[in-house]
Amino acid sequence: MRTIDTDVLVIGGGATGVGVLRDLALRGIRAALVEKGDLTHGTTGRYHGLLHSGGRYVVKDKQSASECAVENEILRRIMPHCLEDTGGFFVVTPADDEAYVPLFLKGCQETGVSVHEIAVREALRREPLLNPRISRAFEVRDGSADSFLATHSNAEDAVRHGAQVLTYHVVTGLERTGDRVTGAVCEDMRSGETVHIHTSYIVNAAGAWAGKIAELAGVKVTVVPGKGTMVAMNHRVLNTVVNRCKPPADGDIIVPIHTVAVIGTTDVHVPDPDVFGIEAWEVERMLSEGEQLVPGISKARVLRAWAGVRPLYKDQDVADDRDIPRTYKLLDHEARDGVKGMISMVGGKWTTYRMMAQEATDAVAAKLGIQAECRTHLEPLPIPAGAERKAGLYWLGKPLAAIEADSSYGHLICECELVTRERVVDAITSGKAANIDDIRRDTRLGMGPCQGGFCTYRAAALWHELKPATPPANDPPHGHAGNSVALLRHFLQERWKGLTVIAWGDQLRQARLDEIIYLDTLGLDLLPAPAPAEQNGAEMVTAHPAIATEYHAA
Amino acid sequence: MRDTIVIGAGLSGLMGALALADAGRRPLVLAKGQGAMQWAAGTIDVWGAANGSLRAALGELITTDPGHPYARAGAAGVEAAIDRFRALMESARYPYVGSLERNVLLPTALGALRPAAFFPATMAAGDMRLGGAAHAGPPLLLAGFHELRDFFPPMAAENLTGQGIPARGVYLTLPPIARRLDFNTRVFAQLFDDPAFREDVGRQLRAARGDATRIGLPAVLGLRDPLGAVAHLQALSGAQIFEIPTLPPSVPGMRLFTIFREAIVKAGGRLQIGAEVLRGEGADGALTAVYSAAAAREQTHRANLFLLATGGVAGGGVRTDHTGSTWETALGLPLQAPGGRGEWFAPRFLNEAGHPIYRAGIATNPQLQPLDAAGAVVYRNVAVSGAALAGSDPIRERCYSGMALATGWRAGQILSSEL
Repeated sequence: MRTIDTDVLVIGGGATGVGVLRDLALRGIRAALVEKGDLTHGTTGRYHGLLHSGGRYVVKDKQSASECAVENEILRRIMPHCLEDTGGFFVVTPADDEAYVPLFLKGCQETGVSVHEIAVREALRREPLLNPRISRAFEVRDGSADSFLATHSNAEDAVRHGAQVLTYHVVTGLERTGDRVTGAVCEDMRSGETVHIHTSYIVNAAGAWAGKIAELAGVKVTVVPGKGTMVAMNHRVLNTVVNRCKPPADGDIIVPIHTVAVIGTTDVHVPDPDVFGIEAWEVERMLSEGEQLVPGISKARVLRAWAGVRPLYKDQDVADDRDIPRTYKLLDHEARDGVKGMISMVGGKWTTYRMMAQEATDAVAAKLGIQAECRTHLEPLPIPAGAERKAGLYWLGKPLAAIEADSSYGHLICECELVTRERVVDAITSGKAANIDDIRRDTRLGMGPCQGGFCTYRAAALWHELKPATPPANDPPHGHAGNSVALLRHFLQERWKGLTVIAWGDQLRQARLDEIIYLDTLGLDLLPAPAPAEQNGAEMVTAHPAIATEYHAA
Repeated sequence: MRDTIVIGAGLSGLMGALALADAGRRPLVLAKGQGAMQWAAGTIDVWGAANGSLRAALGELITTDPGHPYARAGAAGVEAAIDRFRALMESARYPYVGSLERNVLLPTALGALRPAAFFPATMAAGDMRLGGAAHAGPPLLLAGFHELRDFFPPMAAENLTGQGIPARGVYLTLPPIARRLDFNTRVFAQLFDDPAFREDVGRQLRAARGDATRIGLPAVLGLRDPLGAVAHLQALSGAQIFEIPTLPPSVPGMRLFTIFREAIVKAGGRLQIGAEVLRGEGADGALTAVYSAAAAREQTHRANLFLLATGGVAGGGVRTDHTGSTWETALGLPLQAPGGRGEWFAPRFLNEAGHPIYRAGIATNPQLQPLDAAGAVVYRNVAVSGAALAGSDPIRERCYSGMALATGWRAGQILSSEL
């Protein structure tokens, strides 16, 4: 058993949690963060990557629209390396009602969302694949965001300022003394060890899981997990974020991000944020709605589908989950429930994570009687080591320019996403990655067209060569190399889950090539039989039900 | 006009073209690309699950599963195809060894032991049955290069060790004559064609070998004379050298393609790569012409006989879409395939029984003529071979190359003598 003492414990390693952690650290408050998976393992790592201009919410959710508009500008200043200034359009397609336009424009004016109309011809010049039958086009300050990099940059800066980050630590209980929460009991899911964390204050930033955390303190918080399914297309069919100019609905946005374009998203209530799959109709809806924006897109190659769960906070009866406001809410459990020592920060958007963190940290500082002011809107985030040229906004050709400048073509481990050996080695030796899926979140390895066909073998081999030969606690049967084989099996299974709902045409052919590689050439299935748990990937981190989502077959 | 057209330039199509050429015909091979053989290991895998005699396993399969492509080839057809294949490879100084008595076990780049019936002589010293069942012999050495990102000796060596086959993995230093910015398997194969490059590598192997008597290297040991390259490296290193297949593109596959192409051309046949057949035209139950997409225009090709060897999902002969439709790409022949997309996959990637969609293919009669859903012959002058055939998942069954050879050979014979 280990014991950790801290002043503030943040629960949740998504955007909000690391945002709070950084804010606390910059104010000189001793803080630790626990996350049951890898950082961004939950909703933050599973969204479409939109940096909101606020335009989507100007009619139905004005507060959220204003928050997005304000934060959009701040994030451009503090984390340019995580953002691409794609710009955004709201377009009226033949399927949309022009009567929405005056509402939209009035909403933009009221909420401070910058907007101006451009000629349809100009929109089509900039985006030649856009539906030529659109009748109007409005330009906004949308962009795309690398939520993995942003989260890591926040965490890195927090650690630099003295904070602790504990990934693969699941909260199993909260300790209460009378009416005060005084600590948390966690399980280190890699070693099985119990960790006690004594703290003066807890910030529940568990997102869609916030209700589950609150329950451990005997407090009721109703979070409605709203599942959103997205599909990534093989090409950047658009270089601008394009939204339908109408009330938000399924499949009404395409976000270009890195090498792909993402169509989003559905909104389906799920009873439990840990148990959901992707339905065929959701993928079909994305593709058929995507046709309104880019005719022919449903015939293009789809790389992958995935789903995330929105942390929608429900504090009154709302008929449709899409009607739940997208704004955030700070719950002071002392005022609300008579339980001291804990607040919950629920709801919100990735774009407003910093504002949410600021508000939460303000509240904690007040409770602790600390005067320090927030500085997260002023101080730029650090750019990960050895990557000065990442300074400035991201642009599509940037990774290739870096490869060319270094003449490092010969070191590409993942050709699709231009991930070099150096970056994979960094991800492995940093000690934070527990499996290849964690390396993926650090580097984008395996996220391109071949979906891990070539790079999984290479990454597993590098892992084998770099990791000290310490057998994990659960003792895989074949020693150290057995572990890299288990990693390989786990990652291929992870990729497979996102492929089965979209595997047809060329992507099915790609999946079959992966069989030729892993079965015919490498004989992965012929290596000694894995333990039954490992077949589902559980060996890689844990069989703990708290993160079992990862291992449910879709 | 060519009297025979072969559609597809994979192992099956080329074997069919060879059979046709042997029978005095001058086949035209039309293909979109170079065929899937450059993706595979380059061994001839007849039946992976066979524990003892492959002959016996094939005999049993043909009896119990008469719809299997092997049943169409027949036991004698399998043997004849392999004999002809081996004769061709022998004449090209790239001999294959092995037998239908049993599978050998060859190490993979992951350190697994994969069964194969026949394999290039350059892989022969990798047979893990050598040195007795207990593998009591001296440890193996596996050697590669950091610059070759498709072959990692340490992981393979440790997996072998974990299975009771002591092995060490090392990296060699790229000789200074080879400074380049990027390397792939083909570039390495060209380097190994150079005796000066081999001299340097051979010296490093001698220094690294320790008590190892066998050394595994990635299967990139030359395109021109791999057997000579292996002999040279053996002389230099003082150990037996064997090749281990790498990730695609596969150099052993490239060698096979070259050997087949030269033999077919020499016999009066022709290969037209970059000519994807998009549709066919028939009359009175016979195919009369096929149309290919050439660089600037559509081309028409007329013939009396056709061999369809376009492969399955991987090769591109079977195509699918998001509605769950499946179709045969060259001629639009009826397919035998699972229903909607919900039935295509098992939840686990490594599911032992495989994924049903990969069994999709063309149903045929014993003459390999394509059948429609009612069991009637679609075109009487067409034979089908290889992974385009229904009734098998050749990757899971580990008979991808064996089945391609056997059915390609049989289809070529049927076309030249029986139809």
